[in-house]
Amino acid sequence: MDIIWFCALAFLLVGYFALEGFDLGLGMLLPILGRTQEERDRIVAGMAPFVLANEVWLVAAVGVLFGAFPQLEGKALSGLYPLIVSLLVTWILRDAGLWFRRRLDGRRWRGFWDTVIAVASLGLSFTWGLAIAGMARGFPDDLADPRGLLLGALVAALFALHGWTFASWRMPGQMTGSRRTGLALMATGALAALPIAVPLAFMAPSIVGLAAPDETLNVLGLMVVPFTPLMIGAQVWVWRTFRPERAPHPSFF
Amino acid sequence: MEVLDLARLQFAMTGSVHFLFVVLTLGMAPMVAVMQTKHLVTGKPVYEGMTRFWGQIYVINYALGIMTGLVMEFQFGMNWSGLSHFAGDVFGGPLAIETLVAFFLESTFLGLWIFGWHKLPPRLHLACIWMVAFTAYLSAFWIMVANSYLQNPVGSELRDGRLVLTDFPALLTNPTFVAALPHVIGAGVLTGGCVVAGASAYRLFRRPADEELFKRSLRTGLTWAGVGALLSIGSGYAQIPLVMGVQPGKFDGEGNLAATVGFGFMILLAEMLALLILVMVIVVARVHRLRWTHPLIMLMAPVPFLIAILGWLAREIGRQPWAVYGKLTTADAITPGLSSGTIIASLVAFPGLLLLLAAVDYLLILKAIRREPGEVGLGRPPDTGDEVAAGPLPPHRAHAGNL
Repeated sequence: MDIIWFCALAFLLVGYFALEGFDLGLGMLLPILGRTQEERDRIVAGMAPFVLANEVWLVAAVGVLFGAFPQLEGKALSGLYPLIVSLLVTWILRDAGLWFRRRLDGRRWRGFWDTVIAVASLGLSFTWGLAIAGMARGFPDDLADPRGLLLGALVAALFALHGWTFASWRMPGQMTGSRRTGLALMATGALAALPIAVPLAFMAPSIVGLAAPDETLNVLGLMVVPFTPLMIGAQVWVWRTFRPERAPHPSFF
Repeated sequence: MEVLDLARLQFAMTGSVHFLFVVLTLGMAPMVAVMQTKHLVTGKPVYEGMTRFWGQIYVINYALGIMTGLVMEFQFGMNWSGLSHFAGDVFGGPLAIETLVAFFLESTFLGLWIFGWHKLPPRLHLACIWMVAFTAYLSAFWIMVANSYLQNPVGSELRDGRLVLTDFPALLTNPTFVAALPHVIGAGVLTGGCVVAGASAYRLFRRPADEELFKRSLRTGLTWAGVGALLSIGSGYAQIPLVMGVQPGKFDGEGNLAATVGFGFMILLAEMLALLILVMVIVVARVHRLRWTHPLIMLMAPVPFLIAILGWLAREIGRQPWAVYGKLTTADAITPGLSSGTIIASLVAFPGLLLLLAAVDYLLILKAIRREPGEVGLGRPPDTGDEVAAGPLPPHRAHAGNL
């Protein structure tokens, strides 16, 4: 049972990196790929229908952490305290940028939130590198060591590549001037997930050892399994609904 | 202040701000779903206008619900890892189910609903908002299971210094849960009704000319407010003996003065509000023409938020000094070794940043209420005026192509 729940946790975290990775990557590329307000609106319109379905993978992963690995949850979130604050602040600011940017007319309002989205997406990607390094090193006091910074830069670079590929797949020939297939998008998704997948594989034995007792895990399984087909179905439906199009119409975000 | 006080302050403030947005979501999600259903069944354009106008307000409100909710989820592990260690095997379960099932589905279907206008077939698009409403209530269900466990830790026993789950169904029949869930749902329906009624009254007061959309919305809002008031007050009174049975002296005024005062004010305000709503419900058929009632109805809109926060403060302060009632004190629930400097620094972020964003969000909601229904961005058909011209951009993008 504990191994199954570790797989669920790993699946959600890897999924978060592979999916939310392109939102964050495109967010940080927003001022580079979108030189004008119209271009930035198009880029946001391209990723908007996916953001809500992507970011929720991390919410679910932390839920599994709390329900199935409560000992690790307390240790990880308090052990990485300043990084978790940074993760939440950048995540919230990125979301605020997306939700708020079109709520008022006026170019300065939208331009301000576009800058917020870019800086916060970069900050969030970078924070992930530091956090993974901190976890791998067993929650040390100095969380900003060179290896963490290097990993942060790597995560940001992989997310940027993934975001660029997503834009080339979803809006072929438009924002990036290139076209990419769904297969290429999957490949960069796999690359973007490597920085979390590899450390998880190494840490697997110690994480499994911190699982909750079987009584808890069984109840969790009983409650979650009946909904799993619906969850997968809803995610697949998002991808079937929002196919590649030359010029997605900006709506809401 | 001590570290414990700072951590409690942080939790109380982020929790309160979170619930302001949650309580309106609970009321408005089913209301918008009903409006959209009426549009699909009758085909009348006024229901489409209502769905988009109130849907937009619901969605702007929802944004802060997510942002504050993220902090709530992470805060347990950051500041209260003593609680995770001691009770996580039981308390973590309902929270995990809430995030993994309910919120996962809610967020996915909400994305499909917001961006699926004019893309999904109407029936499937309608199904999305019903799924959003259903999963919002599923979230409320599991969060209340988790909170009620802390109020009255049933279905578990102490083994090697930690609580382990022994009887899961007992969590679902917990006396602090069974009446609290309808109480929270009633509060949501009441809040949604008051906000829709208040905003409609504002529109009609400003321009009393025939505005079909807001006439209907005013009636709908008042009806929902009436139902919500009855449900929340009824289940509230039904809750008192159940709570007193497991937490005697919660509101006796000596040990927990703040809880007792909050409890009293909540009842006072709720009964005054309910009286006003019931008067309005009696005249609901022609209330849109009774112009003098409109400022009163506008004043009603913020009251349920105040009542809801007082209710939570009474429930949570009233169980102090316990984090898990009778088993773990709040002082023992805090993360060991947490320094006050760390907490003070993070107070700038939560609730500091959240309060700022919440203020911006409320201004945007007010702005959305003032805008004409024709200007609503949510669900705008792709071929009608947008500030961005439709059609592909000129193919000059080579400079950005070599990444």
